[in-house]
Amino acid sequence: MAQVLKRLVTGIAGLDALLKGGLVAGASYIIQGPPGAGKTILANQLACGHVRQGGRVLVATLLSESHERLFQYLATLEFFDPALVGDQIQFVSAFDTLEQEGLDAVVKLLRQEIARQQASLLIVDGVLNARVRAETSLDTKKFVSELQGHAAFAGCTLLLLTSARLDEGSPEHTMVDGVIELGEQLIGSRAVRHIQLRKTRGSGALSGRHECLIDEAGMHVYPRLEALYSHPSQPGCASLNRVTTGIDTLDEMLGGGLARSSTSLLMGPSGVGKTSLGLAFLSASSAEAPGLHFGFYETPDRLRLKATSLGYDFADLERQGALQLCWQPTTEGLLDQVGARLLEQVDRLGSKRVFIDSLGAYSRLAADPARLNAFFRALTGELRARDVSVMLTWEMRDIFGSEITAPAPDLSSIVDNLMLMRFVELDSQLQRMLSILKVRDSHHDPALHALHFSPQGISLRNAFEGACGVLSGTPVPQGSG
Amino acid sequence: MNTILIVDDEYLIADILGFALEDEGFLVEKASNGRKALEALKEKRVELVITDYMMPVLNGEELVLAIREELALCDLPVILMSGAQASQGRPELFAAVFDKPFDMDKMIAKVRELLDT
Repeated sequence: MAQVLKRLVTGIAGLDALLKGGLVAGASYIIQGPPGAGKTILANQLACGHVRQGGRVLVATLLSESHERLFQYLATLEFFDPALVGDQIQFVSAFDTLEQEGLDAVVKLLRQEIARQQASLLIVDGVLNARVRAETSLDTKKFVSELQGHAAFAGCTLLLLTSARLDEGSPEHTMVDGVIELGEQLIGSRAVRHIQLRKTRGSGALSGRHECLIDEAGMHVYPRLEALYSHPSQPGCASLNRVTTGIDTLDEMLGGGLARSSTSLLMGPSGVGKTSLGLAFLSASSAEAPGLHFGFYETPDRLRLKATSLGYDFADLERQGALQLCWQPTTEGLLDQVGARLLEQVDRLGSKRVFIDSLGAYSRLAADPARLNAFFRALTGELRARDVSVMLTWEMRDIFGSEITAPAPDLSSIVDNLMLMRFVELDSQLQRMLSILKVRDSHHDPALHALHFSPQGISLRNAFEGACGVLSGTPVPQGSG
Repeated sequence: MNTILIVDDEYLIADILGFALEDEGFLVEKASNGRKALEALKEKRVELVITDYMMPVLNGEELVLAIREELALCDLPVILMSGAQASQGRPELFAAVFDKPFDMDKMIAKVRELLDT
């Protein structure tokens, strides 16, 4: 039977997910990245997290910066507790020893300090200075090797922080068990931090680059959703039951409603009524099967007003615990952060119907648009696994016209049901049209229907008979021309 | 001329404090941890010690206890430069306690008071 490695949980959920459970206890890691990438914050966050789990930490700096200066910055971060310093976390400077006596003396000093402090985690900041002090690459290798040896002998996990971008052939890389790289990338005028596990010896890990951010709580890591959920986390629901769209006539067109746990996409231009259909969908929420509005554009107050104008009492549903309106007030977030937030909300509320308004807003968060298809596939797959029926919107650019833009290629393979909404100009009247383009594994009414919104709700009726070219928005009577 | 021993593993702090005290006419010796400080005290006459708390090998509290017990220097005044991040050590062991970052003028005034200069 394969042996399970003892893990040291980092306390950063996303990082633990990347590491498949945390750092390997007793192993050695390099944390590398340019100045400002967040190495020191990450290391100190790990230190505080380790102490809270009963560990003891020795932080040794090979830098000339004062510890007091560091504490001033750390004091602005919520994870940092000054009361831990001097007791469970010891900071020592080995800069002078490095300068005066060299690498061997630093190793000796740290060996003594590990024992004296009974440290179970050793963080060495400023390894670049050790490299500079070394006369040959063999000296660097020996330094890392000896530190590793002493730390491992004492059952101590070792983190080496360096601002050098060490390549895979560097002496440090070849010696350590793992390499965690931090960096930052400019996407337009937006800076996006990222983290990558470049080496994880003898341990599974989520490979590739993942987004992260630093706020007042410290560092957050958001694994790429498609990497985290390459396989659905739960078996999902195999029921053939139907759920209502909240609109009787639409249910009839769909052959009795939407398949439970299915994903439906509403496509249409701005103002055509996608959000209203979503509100109708959420109006069917109940305490047993709660609904969640996950939107980027409209505030909860505006949504309640809009719902009221359609005859739905959202405030009452919220009071019953049947509905939650979750507004994402900014599009400055990260794609995987917002994806994770949605899944957290669903888990917390036990949501069974979710309306996401819209995929376009999600897409704008993507630093790498090539990921979108895989991202949406993972997100909808996870929602399906949680037995959630999902309605999504996608805003088409053109109000009229035959061109239809999709949020991601092959989107129709991700969604189960596809509905197209358009403005139609007919007989000097502007009407709204809905047609069902696709319903997976079910028959449906293919006729084009006119949508009508009123304080009594939303209704659909057969329309546009005797006209062709309706989907382009400018139909003409059949047989004309 | 009075000699002051500054004990701190962070050489920058030891240097800055050292320069300020030298400007005031004191002789300054430095040590990067408590053990090295004890060795220096065995070799040189020192009128006052200013020590950091958190240091490798021997911390500030261990140093002051060793000064009293090992070296039997019961009257040698010792000032603690405590990290502002935590109330470290037992303040009663020290002639004065300064939280880092401290006001240099106040430190010099305290040194003068303790040395009666």
